[in-house]
Amino acid sequence: MSRNRNSDPFGDARRTGPRAWVERVARFVRDHRRVAQDSVGHVSHRLPTSLLVWVLIGIALALPGGLYLLQVNLAAIADQWQGRPGVSVYFRVGADADAAAALQRELTRDARVERVELVSADAALREFQAFAGVTDALAQLDRNPLPTSLKVLLVDGTAPAEFDLLAARIRAARGVDEVVIERTWLERLQAMTGFVRRLGFVLAALFAVGAVLVTATSVRLAIESRLEELKVMKLVGATDAYIRRPFLYFGLLYGLGGGVAAAMLISAVLLIVEPPLAALVGSYGTALTIEGFSMAFFGGLLLLGGALGVCGALLAARQRLADLEVV
Amino acid sequence: MAPDVGAIEFHNVTKRFDNGTEALREVNLRLDEGSMTFLTGHSGAGKSTFLKLLLRLDQPTRGQILVNGVNVVQLPDTALPSYRQHIGAVFQDHHLLGHRSVYDNVALPLRVAGMRERDVARRVRAAVARVGLLAKERLLPQHLSTGEQQRVGIARAVVNRPRILLADEPTGNLDPDLSRDIMHLFEQFQQVGTTVIIASHDRELIESLGKPIVELHQGTLRSAEPGPVHDDEATSEPQQKQ
Ligand SMILES: Nc1ncnc2c1ncn2[C@@H]1O[C@H](COP(=O)(O)OP(=O)(O)OP(=O)(O)O)[C@@H](O)[C@H]1O
Ligand SMILES: [Mg+2]
Repeated sequence: MSRNRNSDPFGDARRTGPRAWVERVARFVRDHRRVAQDSVGHVSHRLPTSLLVWVLIGIALALPGGLYLLQVNLAAIADQWQGRPGVSVYFRVGADADAAAALQRELTRDARVERVELVSADAALREFQAFAGVTDALAQLDRNPLPTSLKVLLVDGTAPAEFDLLAARIRAARGVDEVVIERTWLERLQAMTGFVRRLGFVLAALFAVGAVLVTATSVRLAIESRLEELKVMKLVGATDAYIRRPFLYFGLLYGLGGGVAAAMLISAVLLIVEPPLAALVGSYGTALTIEGFSMAFFGGLLLLGGALGVCGALLAARQRLADLEVV
Repeated sequence: MAPDVGAIEFHNVTKRFDNGTEALREVNLRLDEGSMTFLTGHSGAGKSTFLKLLLRLDQPTRGQILVNGVNVVQLPDTALPSYRQHIGAVFQDHHLLGHRSVYDNVALPLRVAGMRERDVARRVRAAVARVGLLAKERLLPQHLSTGEQQRVGIARAVVNRPRILLADEPTGNLDPDLSRDIMHLFEQFQQVGTTVIIASHDRELIESLGKPIVELHQGTLRSAEPGPVHDDEATSEPQQKQ
């Protein structure tokens, strides 16, 4: 008690103990509910402004969010590739058919190899004809231009260094013309994923700052328009937290709305790009599945939007309310 | 608490504004808990300044202001809200929320103090009824007459049953009957132990109430010393503190 002697003319600090705490928590909850209702009213009364803020924040969130989706999907494709690492071995045209069969037998015994499939020159030609429908043109050729090949599937998780060792061995085998390691594709894809991820991070940081500034500006305007009221509140003993609270709720609502707007923007973009993308993916013989556009992603957007909104509001409150002169 | 500690004490309080105006000069004054005192003096004498310093809306240039023995000049900013929640104040220029109804204006101190909405409603209705504005509780202050706005300010000052009640020209825009009624309201608060200070020009009204009167003259206190207030000027009768 005596330690409060110099700051407590009316003996408020004497009220301690569990009852005072319960009362304090109840007051806190009450106040938040009141402010939340007020803020929803405020934001919906100024719908045009609020919509503008939501769209601005939505765009700021949609770009990094979209890049995140792109990165997740590229990574998923890369993963599928990694699931069946392989090497294609092409023999010289007209090479000894036994050479291919011999290499197939040899590779099948290798522990790193899961399966080896031999595609004879004839089979390759038939497949090509069926696929490309250019029978007539090929029929004119007097000999098969396609090589015999081996499709070597390696066991899962084969280290990249092993690819090189194996490829070197195969390259030295009889009749081999070319060895194509699918890993080069994989590397390209992984590099691309890495690039997209970095770009995403940079953009996310930039646009997060943008979103914070947009909310800060809107909240600042709200503060300015209420400055007189805030002074009166101070006169009757409102704490800084009490004065700041409605504006934090504005920030939260702006941010959450921005998250919803971002989800809607991303959905719209997906709808637009889906048909051509499905056609592209279909030409590789797989169905289009977009990874990552889930409830968790949506929740993440909301969470991020809300957090950025509150940050913006805190920034505005710091700038504008820190030294609010009462009279 | 020592028994000789007054509810409000001014010790050598001087307030000089940046432009050199000395609004208060070496003011010494002591007001007991539960007393009701009038602060009078010509325009510019320093009455509003006195009340503002007490509410810690401004700081004195020199001197101490004790409330229940605590020097409010040195109150940390974090202690100000709870300090002000115990003080009801009627301001000369009302300071109402322009975009909120009469009801919301009067409810403000209660909501700031975290009161339950049910209790808020009960208290607000009582206070608004007391100043005769129940029929207008949904109106905005801008749709009220100046005297009505003043009464909203009065209702807001008393709604949280403050320990100290400060009123700056609370009856400046009211007719004599209404003025008397408002003074009676303040007296009721005094009777339940609130320390009341009222700044007013209206000599006739305040003399008729028989309460101690403190007169400021160009920032100096003319008629009071620590303890019961005396008036050594010929302008008014000696007053006895109740
Ligand atoms: N912020 C300020 N800056 C400079 N001078 C000020 C300020 N506030 C008040 N004053 C001056 O201090 C003096 C006292 O002012 P105050 O408002 O206390 O007078 P008052 O007794 O309330 O007058 P009234 O009866 O007209 O309301 C006046 O001369 C005024 O001009
Ligand atoms: Mg004045």
